[in-house]
Amino acid sequence: MPVMTVNGKAYPVPVGIRLSEALAQTPVSTAWPCGGLGRCGKCRVTAFGALSDPDGQEKAFLSEEERQAGVRLACRTFVLGDCRVEAAVSGGEAIQTDGGAGVSVVRPAFRRFGAAVDLGTTTLAARLYDTSGTCLASGGRMNPQSRWGADVISRIQASMDGAREEIAACVREGIAGLLRDLAEQAGIETQAMDGAVITGNTAMLYLLTASAPDALSRAPFEADRLFGCEVEAASLALPLAPGAWVYLPRCISAFVGADITAAIAAAGLCRSGKTRLLADIGTNGEMALWHGGELCCCSTAAGPAFEGAGLSMGMQGANGAVDHLRVEDGELCAHVIGGGEPKGICGSGVVDALACLLRLETLDETGLLDDDPAVLCGDVSLTQKDVRMIQLAKSAVCAGMRTLVQHAKLSWEQVSELLVAGGFGSYLDLENAGRIGLIPPELVMRTRAIGNAALDGASMLLLDQALREETEGMARAARTADLSTDPVFMQWYTEGMFFETPD
Amino acid sequence: MSILNEISENLQKGKAKVVKQLVQQAIDENIPVETILNEGLLSGMSIIGEKFKNNEVFVPEVLVAARAMNMGASLLKPLMAEAGVEAAGKVCIGTVRGDLHDIGKNLVKMMMEGKGLEVIDLGTDVAPETYVQTAIEQGCQIICCSALLTTTMCEMENVVKQANEAGIHGKVKIMVGGAPVTQAFCEQIGADCYTPDAASAADAAVAFCKATA
Repeated sequence: MPVMTVNGKAYPVPVGIRLSEALAQTPVSTAWPCGGLGRCGKCRVTAFGALSDPDGQEKAFLSEEERQAGVRLACRTFVLGDCRVEAAVSGGEAIQTDGGAGVSVVRPAFRRFGAAVDLGTTTLAARLYDTSGTCLASGGRMNPQSRWGADVISRIQASMDGAREEIAACVREGIAGLLRDLAEQAGIETQAMDGAVITGNTAMLYLLTASAPDALSRAPFEADRLFGCEVEAASLALPLAPGAWVYLPRCISAFVGADITAAIAAAGLCRSGKTRLLADIGTNGEMALWHGGELCCCSTAAGPAFEGAGLSMGMQGANGAVDHLRVEDGELCAHVIGGGEPKGICGSGVVDALACLLRLETLDETGLLDDDPAVLCGDVSLTQKDVRMIQLAKSAVCAGMRTLVQHAKLSWEQVSELLVAGGFGSYLDLENAGRIGLIPPELVMRTRAIGNAALDGASMLLLDQALREETEGMARAARTADLSTDPVFMQWYTEGMFFETPD
Repeated sequence: MSILNEISENLQKGKAKVVKQLVQQAIDENIPVETILNEGLLSGMSIIGEKFKNNEVFVPEVLVAARAMNMGASLLKPLMAEAGVEAAGKVCIGTVRGDLHDIGKNLVKMMMEGKGLEVIDLGTDVAPETYVQTAIEQGCQIICCSALLTTTMCEMENVVKQANEAGIHGKVKIMVGGAPVTQAFCEQIGADCYTPDAASAADAAVAFCKATA
């Protein structure tokens, strides 16, 4: 068997294995946003030795210089014999574990210590509680499933192609590792945890429980499991106390998951008489409107533009990412996470960038750039193609909200508040988000970011078992609007692609 | 400016009513129907298509331009049938089974119509046999399949298989496209052509039809 040496450490690998698959068993985790289709070019590694020659698709992504330096796309390269790979070890990135909701103990679902986990498509976040309701530790890490693709559809496909158990084992190991970290932080034994709540979108809960996800893969997209149930921690291979149970909150539909149920609970959306909107903006934008005692939800495919993937210089909100931009004396002024050289741009930076370019009038209201690419800061720029991708994404999110409000026959004045959940929402400059039409400009003044509300909700469900019945009932009664066939949505979607000039 | 230029310019701006009026005026001036179509409507749509391919204009501009084109073309259609003017080719198009996304498919349809092709729109969630039956019954030269999901693009392979079984795949070309589709995938399933955008799809379709004419 040939030997693959990765950052100085040797691994035996079978001949003919794809380099991306070979790397998956090492600590070097490359991102595979496109799921290994050779479409995104984000899985660059430096590799030498007996490897397959680059194919046309790979050559299209790599410059002559890069090829000379041994840069390869891991998903398009096959191991033919002994080889050597140099790659950056993935580091911890800023993952939001803070929320805005006050969490109080009523009837906890554990005796000694309990954990609340938000299983996101991109990141995992968790908190550890004791019976007094004190949060002893919190933390996050990347979702290790990303090697099967950045988006849920790629992972669903991989699961149907035979990796179901492997994907489940991978994410369970990720959660277990995170729980061990929390226990260590708090100075307790991991086994002292005897209860947990894991929330996440519908696909994430399918993949976690190794349920066959076929129903989520194609129209009519009707989930055959919506959860709202307890499973034994041992069945998920989690290192909790023997006999401990894990609660998985109820999902609303195939595309509106338990993370939204939890966020709605945390925001107390359905507990007030006010008409309010809640939106979670990520790869998918999920929205819920509470009005007149009814909850109506929808989800739109925003694409990965706001999570860094897909854009020419997109990256996650890690060191080197431009996360904010403003205009000062007619010049662009960028903030770079970590303060070093800018390497790319993350979601919040993208929103600011478009708003600033509009202000400088180097981007017109139809989305046309004066200069392609538009230089933002150092080597970081946005191409015309990037702008088009963001136009599709922002319009999908905004059109989702507009459709819910129109179907409820409401005017914007009647919507008392828009709550934006999730990490991206917290770093977002709301005024700029309104300027580019990611959120309805009419609502900007009444918009509030509520942080990781899904994790808040999971914490509340952990600390008060009585809340479970209430949220399950709420999820059961919720209506879901199918936007893919909705002419109202299509109209807002196409109209919203431009950048309206503010009055 | 000639009236044909005016038609083209107004079509590019998406001024559907003006385009319709101008087309009527051109008909009244006894300009040949084929000339109005080719040098007025299609030349305008072709400029929009080119700009779209270069990212200079975006989906909304294409949609309004296509609406203007259809308004003008509605006046020409009955006259073209009378005069025996034939379309440059016939295509059936649809989003594959299990997939409901249709923006990309609609753009391709508009671009193809903008090149003078007759396009039969089968909608979304289209079964493989529907493509093949339509192609046989309507005498299409091309079947176009769109998919936006990694999980549904495999249906394209079934379309190719059905066309092979029906024995039409030599005569009828199968084109594929959509976000997850690649040239490699197209070759792997035995389809005939992959294009990365709507305007290139229309160009490729016209080239096919010319080659088989």
